[in-house]
Amino acid sequence: MKAIYILIPLSLVLLGIAIWAFFWAVRNDQFDDLDTPALDILDDDENEHERRETQKREQIS
Amino acid sequence: MPSAPETTCYHCGEPVPAGADLSLEIDGRRRPMCCAGCRAVASMIRAAGLGRYYDFRTELAGRPEREADPGRFAAWDRAAVLDYHAVAADPVEKGRRSLVLVLENVHCAACAWLVRRYLERFAGIGEARLDVSDGRLRLDFDPARTPLSTIAAGLEALGYPPHLDAPGSGAERDRNERRRMLKYLIVAALGMMQVMSYALAGYLGAAAAGGSMDPETGHFFRLVSMLVAVPVALYAGQPFYRSALAHLARGHLGIDVPVAAAILLALFSSVALTLFGDGEVYFDSVVMFIFFLLLGRFAVMLARQQSGAAQSALARALPARARRLTASGSEDVGLVELSAGDRVLVADGEVVPADGEVESGNGRVDEALISGESEPRARAPGDPVLAGSLVTGGGLTVRVTATGRATVLSGIVDLLGEARRRRPRLARLADRVAGGFIVLILVASAIAALAWWQIDPARVIPVVLSMLVVACPCALALGTPTALAAATRGLAADGVLTANPDALEAVPRLTHVVLDKTGTLTGPAMRIAGIEVHGGLGRDRAIAICAALERVSTHPIARAFEAGHESEHSDTAAGAVAGIAVQQPESLAGAGVSGVIDGVRYWLGRPDWVSDRAGIDIDVPENGTRVVLAGGGRCAVIRLEAAPRRGGRELIEQLQNAGVEVVLASGDREAAVAETARGMGIAEYHAGCSPDGKLALIRRLQRAGGVVAMLGDGINDAPVLAGADVSIALAEGAAIARTQADLVVTGRDLHPAARAFELAPRVRRIVRQNLGWALAYNAAALPLAAIGLIPPWAAAIGMSLSSLGVVLNARRLGRARGRTPGAARTGFSPAPEAGASA
Repeated sequence: MKAIYILIPLSLVLLGIAIWAFFWAVRNDQFDDLDTPALDILDDDENEHERRETQKREQIS
Repeated sequence: MPSAPETTCYHCGEPVPAGADLSLEIDGRRRPMCCAGCRAVASMIRAAGLGRYYDFRTELAGRPEREADPGRFAAWDRAAVLDYHAVAADPVEKGRRSLVLVLENVHCAACAWLVRRYLERFAGIGEARLDVSDGRLRLDFDPARTPLSTIAAGLEALGYPPHLDAPGSGAERDRNERRRMLKYLIVAALGMMQVMSYALAGYLGAAAAGGSMDPETGHFFRLVSMLVAVPVALYAGQPFYRSALAHLARGHLGIDVPVAAAILLALFSSVALTLFGDGEVYFDSVVMFIFFLLLGRFAVMLARQQSGAAQSALARALPARARRLTASGSEDVGLVELSAGDRVLVADGEVVPADGEVESGNGRVDEALISGESEPRARAPGDPVLAGSLVTGGGLTVRVTATGRATVLSGIVDLLGEARRRRPRLARLADRVAGGFIVLILVASAIAALAWWQIDPARVIPVVLSMLVVACPCALALGTPTALAAATRGLAADGVLTANPDALEAVPRLTHVVLDKTGTLTGPAMRIAGIEVHGGLGRDRAIAICAALERVSTHPIARAFEAGHESEHSDTAAGAVAGIAVQQPESLAGAGVSGVIDGVRYWLGRPDWVSDRAGIDIDVPENGTRVVLAGGGRCAVIRLEAAPRRGGRELIEQLQNAGVEVVLASGDREAAVAETARGMGIAEYHAGCSPDGKLALIRRLQRAGGVVAMLGDGINDAPVLAGADVSIALAEGAAIARTQADLVVTGRDLHPAARAFELAPRVRRIVRQNLGWALAYNAAALPLAAIGLIPPWAAAIGMSLSSLGVVLNARRLGRARGRTPGAARTGFSPAPEAGASA
């Protein structure tokens, strides 16, 4: 039973990480738009990669 | 011509006028379009490579109401406008701004997708997030790379006219509240899982060992549970502690007082037992209790936030810019730049940007939005004008006296918001019952504590805890507001805004529904009522020419000449129009359209404009709405009338089947009213009614014991609506902000009204189910807990399940059903514009 003295504190650390990750997600608007991301995967736009690249270049320039 | 004639517009779903040759290739097929406006929007979507919008959407798009005018938004690039409406973007980066725009015509997730994808193409756009429920777009952009005016003009061309949102209008507050609750909920959920797993170890260990687990391990588990449960309970329980303190500070017992008491009692007794003694601890029960309560609160909050569909009415009612006079001429400025003493120019067809006084010029001003006066009134120098009113004839120079929050319009919107925040009567009743119940619980718990002190002091705390938790009147307090909020949301999705939820309670008791004719059974759309030809122009030919000409226009009056409106004349138009080709089409906003047909130039539009252009004298009677067609020395005067709204017959049939008496009361002539009544299947009608007459009618029905609903256009009928038990107004766009009715039906047809009558009895039924269930549960559980039969963990589960059951039951009302295409448009289209000019 010695294992629980290590494993349970470890689970607390994991709990802390999980809460931090969720807070990060909330702060970064991950829960703000639950409607449109579902449509994005249906959009088989072949130029998707290209579009993003151009956008990136534009943002840098 | 498309091979298979399709009858509805691919973009907006409205019928396509027969013979119209507007189509567009999307996804390799030619799609029919009903008008130039839809075609423009669709071709823009196609050009942007976003044609998949048509596959994604679940709601039809709105038909563009007016021609896009890119210059309209030029003033939005001014530094003062940006400084007022936009803040520096969140991760501060040089020059970036973030602001909120309110978009019209947002219907479904595909709209959000389309808008986001479209905006991503502009340089410097960081984030574009559209909230489908209220049409708010959060935009993070770089004004130096893409000016706001470009973005705004693009959005308007895409079919989503944008408006600037006033800062602090609640969007930010709603979002922060949602995020805060989400954090509480996440912490409580994760904490609950952890603490439950430790508790389960204890139970399983006890079962497996046949006795209890060894004291050292048991103590370790309790310590770990405490380590998790205490911070979790203190953090995630904040909403309850705050609310309980606020209630106590105001000197009465709120629902959260026993909740907070139970949480803190359980928490600290468990801490004391863990640290100093031995005995049962309740960490798992505490955290579970908090989690399920939060879940209920979260559901209520979401329902409440989503029901505010009439928000930002103020932003919609005001124009995008003002033309300010300067020493050297005039300049376009944002509304925030105006201050008292400025002089602004308001041209024909424009909306007055601020309260002021006419300095020079003459014109007629339509104040239907503010004062309810439906007839435009002449304004001369020295007269006051109000922000939000529409100049329909002439032009004015106005000296500004009040702007922004100080205007009369702003005051009206505030008042309305106040009325919407008022707690409904049913919810207040449930609160009072719950308040009484709380006193009962606290007294009963104290008595039980004393009794158990005599019998077995060790069981005082578990019993008191169980009683506090199990009898928490959460279900009682949640039952009504969740049902009303869900119904409000469901109705809003169907196009009915609930200003006063009490009305939903009264609807099932209705015995009479009084309908108005003009503006209610008939809508803002026009149709041809009569035509008078001069100079040898054939009637059918004249209508065919009009139909061909109007196809280049997006003006609402153009629709009078299309098929689909049941008018004897438009059938002719549809048949004859196919062979007519219009060359060199032109359209002048606020005046009319012109084009060359068979070598002759024709003008169609406002009588004075046409006679001026065509160079002929036309005698036009003053009453009614008329347009004139002229060309080649011949002319035709066409009288237009309001077309009936769709869904009227169905609504009346539905009401009659439900045993409700339908009465038609109109200010119109006897013959016209009788004909409408016959057509709609209404037995009782009253013609020539003044508003006082209608009110007297309602009073008479009420005296005879009837419960009366009045369905009117909300502006002319305001006093009548106020006298009815339930008032329902039909309004579109900015007019929504003004109506004082209990329920506001948006859009162009009457289907949403039918939906409201259908949903209301279900609301009452669900509220009754919820209250009945909550009372029965609490009454049964309290004695059981008092005699010690319910352990605290079972109490927490029971309470949570009863609350959750109530919330889920209520959510059944929120599901929008049977929404008809085009039923719920909340776009800005001031009614007078439709009839003012062609």
